This record gives sequence, C-alpha cells and structure tokens, in this order.
Amino acid sequence: MFQNTKCECGHQNPPDTLLCESCGKPLVESDEPLEMRYDGVARRSQKRNPNPLDRVWSFFSSVRIAVIIIIITLIGAALGTIYPQGNNAAYYKETYGWSGELYHKLGLSSMYDSWWFVCLLVMIGTSLVICSLDRVLPLYRALSKQQIRKHLQFITRQKTSYVGTIEGDAEQWVQSFGNHLKRRRYKVHIDGTALLAEKNRFSRWGPYINHIGLIILLLALLARTIPHWTEENTIAVRDGETVQVTGTDYYVKNDKFTVEYYNEAELPDMLKQQERPKLYETKAILYECVSSCGEPGIEPELKEVKQYDITVNHPMSYKGVKLYQIGYDDEPLLQSVRPIIEDVKTGQQYGPFDLPMKNPKTSFEVGPYSLELKANYMEFALNEEGSPVTKSRDPKAPAFIFIVKGPGLDENGEPYMYFPLEKDKERFSQDKINQAIASKIQIRVDGMDNVKFSSYTSYLLIRVDRALPFVWVGLGICMLGLLMGAYWHHRRIWLRIDEGTLSLGAHTNKNHFGMRSETAWALEQMGITVESDKLDNGGYNS
Amino acid sequence: MSWIDFSGHAYLAAFVLYCFAFMFYVISIAGQRWSNRDSKRHTERWGRIAFFTSSVGLAGHLTFFFTRWYGSGQIPTSNMYEFMSFLAMAIMIAFTIIYLIYRKPILGMFATPLAVIIVAYASVFPKDVQPLIPSLNSYWLKIHVTTAALGEAFFAVGFAAGLMYLLRVVDYSRKDAKARKEQRWVEFTLYVIVVVIGFISIVFSFRGAGYEAHFTQENVMVDEQGQTITRVEQVQYDLPPIFKPYNSQVVSVDSFLGMNKPWFETPSWMNGINAGRKLNTVIWSIIAGSLLYGLLRLVFRKPLGAVIHPHMDGVKPSDLDEISYRAIAIGFPVFTLGALIFAMIWANEAWGRFWGWDPKEVWALITWLFYSVYLHFRLSRGWQGIRSAWLAVIGFVIVWFTLIGVNLIIAGLHSYAGV
Repeated sequence: MFQNTKCECGHQNPPDTLLCESCGKPLVESDEPLEMRYDGVARRSQKRNPNPLDRVWSFFSSVRIAVIIIIITLIGAALGTIYPQGNNAAYYKETYGWSGELYHKLGLSSMYDSWWFVCLLVMIGTSLVICSLDRVLPLYRALSKQQIRKHLQFITRQKTSYVGTIEGDAEQWVQSFGNHLKRRRYKVHIDGTALLAEKNRFSRWGPYINHIGLIILLLALLARTIPHWTEENTIAVRDGETVQVTGTDYYVKNDKFTVEYYNEAELPDMLKQQERPKLYETKAILYECVSSCGEPGIEPELKEVKQYDITVNHPMSYKGVKLYQIGYDDEPLLQSVRPIIEDVKTGQQYGPFDLPMKNPKTSFEVGPYSLELKANYMEFALNEEGSPVTKSRDPKAPAFIFIVKGPGLDENGEPYMYFPLEKDKERFSQDKINQAIASKIQIRVDGMDNVKFSSYTSYLLIRVDRALPFVWVGLGICMLGLLMGAYWHHRRIWLRIDEGTLSLGAHTNKNHFGMRSETAWALEQMGITVESDKLDNGGYNS
Repeated sequence: MSWIDFSGHAYLAAFVLYCFAFMFYVISIAGQRWSNRDSKRHTERWGRIAFFTSSVGLAGHLTFFFTRWYGSGQIPTSNMYEFMSFLAMAIMIAFTIIYLIYRKPILGMFATPLAVIIVAYASVFPKDVQPLIPSLNSYWLKIHVTTAALGEAFFAVGFAAGLMYLLRVVDYSRKDAKARKEQRWVEFTLYVIVVVIGFISIVFSFRGAGYEAHFTQENVMVDEQGQTITRVEQVQYDLPPIFKPYNSQVVSVDSFLGMNKPWFETPSWMNGINAGRKLNTVIWSIIAGSLLYGLLRLVFRKPLGAVIHPHMDGVKPSDLDEISYRAIAIGFPVFTLGALIFAMIWANEAWGRFWGWDPKEVWALITWLFYSVYLHFRLSRGWQGIRSAWLAVIGFVIVWFTLIGVNLIIAGLHSYAGV
C-alpha cells in the first residue's frame, strides 16, 4: 500500500509516523488531545512487509505480549507457593492427599527450577531488551532534534493548552516568558515568536535504565548456572575442632561455640517458660593451607588469615567465601580419650596414651606394648551380612581395632576391639568379640578426667557466589532508573504568537496536575490569570 | 508509668484523633450541600480542620512508635501488632505527603478510615514486646520492614483513591448489564471492608466478655528410628467454636447463647491445631460482617455504593485517577527498594542466599510484578480511568495477601511474624 508520508512542512516521515518528526503536525485526523507516547515516532516493530526476524522482533517488542508473559510468570509463581517446594512424591501424597499428589504430578512441586519457568524468565529478558531498543532509539532521535516552532494543531491539541490574545511586542513577550520559565529550571529555546521550554528530559531514560538493570540481574541469575560460580556446603565443626572448608583450601576452627537464651525477666508473660534463643555465636578462626593440603595422612600446614565471631546475620567473609551460622547441635560428642593398657594377670597399668576421635595416630608405643590402628568406626554398627560398618562420621558410637604386640601376645600381634564408651562396650559385647586377648590385656579409660566431650557442634553454611556482585550492580542500576523515572517529570512547553494570538501547549509524561499548575504560574507572571483546572484539554492520553 | 505504657496511651490518642479526623473530612465533603453556606469555603475550612486533626493524630502515632522503641530497646516492627500499627502509621505518612501535593480533603475521607481500621486490627494481636530471636536481630530489620511498609502504604493510598474513583464514576442510575456488573463489584469491595470491620468488632466483643474455649489435639508421629511419638497440643479459642480443631478433645467451652459445644469439626486436610482456630475466626468474621452489612442495607435501603456515590459529585474523576496513579508511582520505587532489594540484601546476610523462593518472597515478587503490569498498562497501553482504578484495588488485595494471607495460610520462613 502506498502512503504519502511527506508533511506539509516538507519533511519526509517514515510510514506510520503519528506526528510529523519536524513540525509536529498530527498526521491522523482527530480532535482528541494528541497521543504523545514516544513523541509519535514510528518504531522498527511497525515495519511493513516484515521478514521472519522482524516478526520475532515485533512479537517481543509488544508491551501487550510483555505484560502477558509477566502475568503468566506471576500466576506460575503464585501456584508454586500453595505447598512447600522440593519434596518427594510420597511426602505430598501423605501430607496433602490427592491434591498434593496432583500438585507433584503437575510438576508444581519444583516450579521455580522447571524448564518452562526459566523459559518465562528468559522471555521476560528478551522482551526487556527488544521493547527498550524498539522505543528508546527513536525516542532519543526525536528528542535530540526538536523543532522550536511547532504546528498550531500540535500545540492546541496538547492535554494542557491555552489560547488567548496578548498586547504589545510579541518577541519581547516571548523573551520575558522564557525568563520566567528559566527560574523554574527550564531550558528555553526561542525562535522569534515561538518558544520551546524543556526540563528534566533525563527522566525519560529512567525506564530504560531500569530495564538495563533488570537485564543485568537476569544475566547474573543465568550466570549462576555456570559450574563453580556458586557453591553451597554445610559443615559441622565441633567445639575446639578444625575442619576443612569444603571445596576450598581454607580450614576453619571453632574456638568456642556459645548459645544464649533470654532469661525469665526479659520475656513477656506469654513467652515465659519458653526457651527463646538470644544469640548463637561461633568464635571462628580461618586458616589458609600453605602446604601438604589434602594429602592423606599428613598434617596440612596452616596459616591464620582471619578471626571473626560468626553469628546469625553476621557471616564471616573472606575473599568471596562466606561462612554463615545456620544452626547447632547440643548433643555431646566424644572428642578424645586417654586410655590405659592393663596387664590383666599382673594388674600392671601402662599409659595413658592420647586417642582423639578425629585423625588419630596410626601407631602407639605404650609401655612394653605396641599398637597399630587397623580400622576405626565413628558410629559403629553391623550390617546385614554381619560385617562392621560406620553409620556416620560423627563419633556417636566410636570403635577402634588395634593390632597389639607385646609380652604374652602373639608375635604377629593380636587384634583388639576397643569401644571407648561404656554403653557401646556393653551393647556390642566387647569382651566376647575380643575373646582370648580379653583375658590377657584390657584397654580402658581410668576415670572421667581422661574423657573429653565437646558440648556443641556448630553448623556453618559455606557459600561462594561469584554472580553476587553482578546481582547487586543490576539491582542498583534498576533502582537508579526507577528513581529517575518516578520522581522527576519530563515537561515541555511550546508556544507561538501569530498576530497577537498566543497558542500554548504543554506536555509531560506524568503528573499533568503539576504541569497545569506550573503553566498557570508562568502565565500568572505575565499577567494572565487562569485557573489551572481550566488549562485541562480533557482526555486521558498522556 | 513505663515508656511502653505511655506509648500505649499515645496509640489510643492517635486512634481517637484519626476517628475525629475522619468525621471532619466527611463533614468537609458531605457538608457542602448544607444550606446557607458557600460550598467552596466550607470544604476549605473543614478540610483544614480535618487535616490538622489527622496530623496531630499522626504526631501521636509517631510518639507511640518512638516511645515504644525507646522503652523496649528494639524497633517496634517485629510482631504482627507492631507491624500493623506501623503500617497504619505509614499509610498516614503517605496520605500526608499526597495531601500536601494535591490538597484534596476528599482523599482524607477514604485514607483515614483505612488507617482507623488497621490501627484497630493491630490491637487484635498480642501487644507484648517479644525479644528478638537471633535471625531478626539486625539493623536490616529497621531498614527492610520500614521501607517495605512505606511502599505498601502508598499502594494503600492508591487503592483508596482508586476506590473513590470507582464510587465516583460508577453510574447507579444505569441498569444495563455492564453497569450492574460494575455496581456489584464495587459493592463487593465495600462488603469485604465491612467484613474486616466485623472481624475486629467480634474479636473485641468476645475479648471484652472474657470468652474462652480450650481444646487439645493428640498427634501421633513416627520418627526416624521407627518409634511412635505422641504429642498433645493445646489451643485456646477466643470466639465460640463453630468449628473445633480436627480430631480434638474439648477441655472447656464457655457457654454462648446456649452454645456450649462445638458444632462442626475442621476437615482433616487443614493441618495443625491452629487451622481450626483460624477457620473458626474466618467464619465468625463473615457472619459478623454480613450482619453488619445487612444492618447498613436496612438503614439506607440501597447499596452502600449508591449511598456514597452522590457525595462524590463535585470531585473531578481525572483528579482521582491522577492521585491514585501518582501514589502508586511514588510507592513503586520505595516498595522495590524495601520489599525486594533490602530484603535480598538481608536474606543474603542472614540465610546466605539472596533469593530462596520462600512464600513471602514470592508474594512480594508477585506484588511487584502486578504493579509493574499496572504501570505498563497505564504508560504504554493507555489504561486509564476505570480499568486503572480496578487494578489499583486488585493490587491492594495482593498486598494484603502478601502481608496477612501468606502468614495465615502458607507460612514459611517469615512465620515468626505469625498471626
């Protein structure tokens, strides 16, 4: 279809232009206030005879499509909050019955990792990029080459407009009007008897800057799927213990863990007799491994790099690794024992020797005896075949198997099973297991002084998140754009005087109320009193 | 008298002043048609009196806030009572800001009753100062909660102006299907507000009478080692039990109008002993609200919307539309900052992740997405006037669900702020 797109002012406009790019003459006939969005320029998405790329472009450049995607995302996100996320099928069926089963079957139980939810987020990102480019470029062009003298219809069909007569010299009137507007921080451009005053144009870029921030945020979220960009581990560190920070060359020592509760006097009546925690704190020391890191059997060489009291809300942070206090366990665990060896026949005692639960030495010399550690189990149990296994790495039921050599024993040594805890000794019948050797020697602890328990286990969450700085930058830019766009308003006033008739039009992207009162104020300065409400041209178009 | 007692008195004073301010705003608008007066001067004069009263009320409310803060040593935004009273205060602050921009007393006629309802609603919850648990003990509590609430307060003012717009433009003389549909929905919105008032009145009535009912519920669970554990939980009802908790035993039930035992049992799929109490409260609120609504209908003999509509005659609809939009546009960045950005920074400090799809987080995101839809519709698709006003109303329903509904129904990590 052929369309004559040449304006009467001689400017050649692209097809689908609403307002002449040069003089502003409306190219569509109507009496309504003008549609001023994007200053009436044609956008790429409005291209005729589109090729496939253009079709994709115009699909994503539509705000209607963007809003539909947002609404679908919104509904999806809401569905995901009906039941807790991320449990197994049995859980949903048991806890919530048929509706829970259905919830799991529909895939709503892992909504936020599902391919289609991620897909929606990617589509929002695409839409953000294309919508913004489709609008910001033409808008930028339109705003950077504005004509001062606009078409009369352009002026009188603004939402805020005024027509009246003035006396005296027109050029002087325009000059003096311009000076008043300068006091309100307008940039004033004058062309004889025509004037264009403009302020806060930067606020027009607010939404686009906000979108750039959101794009960076979405990219940062995508980047988190790159291997090693995010790591998350939980470690348990007992009082006084040093453990490796999983996935790094750091070691952390729990120097002391404390938990404090509010006392009765601090609590209101309804909470009395409740244990209300006040503080969890791990006095932590962070070490960096200098050499022999992770080599089995060799003590790593550690260098202290940081001391910090980790509490909830105050994680320790060192070079991108963060350690969070996430919990504790107050079940006492055996830390070390100092047993003795007794020759059953003579009653002679040898020792004591140090036997820590974690990383014990592999051989011991105690009096005439030599012990070799053959195996140890932290939580001893027998599996279905009757062989010994350990159920966990926490010393809840520790057991050691030594090969003992010495007076009265076999030359090649005899195996001896040792349970440091009395209850385990009874439960697993240590003496029966050891059989003959039990009548020759006994390994046992002499008095509670030789037993050390750790009272608390502190659970620390280890986090590495390399995308985090980008997340904050994205959010910062997003916020900056929002502030620019929301709290400043782009305002323009056009006027021309034709043979004693003043025509004034004013436009703002929002807050027409303020625009009207500012226009009324400026007219007032020139001796024209008009109620600000009377300037309203009606209509809703902005 | 301790600081906390003093703050309680300041709170009561603020409540009374808000009630008076509401009355004065109504006089300033409704009194325009009283005989032998110049309507414009009347509105101006009473508008000034009303604004003065609501500002003194706000001063009292601020006094409550800071004296309670001083007295308890922690910012009063950490339980439901404190948060709700803060929200009401934020609404009054947002209202004051918008009022200073537009100077329309009509806005006060809708914003002050909103604050009055929320101030009263806050008083339903226990008023004790609860010492902070470790995860709440952070300066982010001050920053995150206050900014998020302020953003929501602007949405509330946007809602008030949007509802006013609807009451102004919905034509009660028309009888066609479209007009009837609009009338019905406006009426429904007003009904919901009446139900909230019903809830507050019924809770205070029974509390004043000292009503109590107690139940126990036996829960049998199987732990990891395969041992069965029996836990007996207790619950206290402050309202007569129409619904008792699922599978529960009556300990004691005060008699109310001859009703001395529960009528129904809460269905089994509503988990936990508190589900029964919540369901019971909801049922009572609907009963009380409906009775109150019926009474109002009997008195006025027409829909409440049609009662209010004529009083809005002198107001320009485009002003209301603009105010509603402006309040939301001011609130949106504040909400983004408080409810999302500060929330993410705090979540990252406290829990080691900035986003975890916790229900409260998701609903804050939903609120944000919804208002961004509102802004896009308005700025790029030219949705103004009635459609925009409906979005402002729906948006506030979502805000309310995020604040209350999530705690009432879904819970999650934010449950310590519980109902």
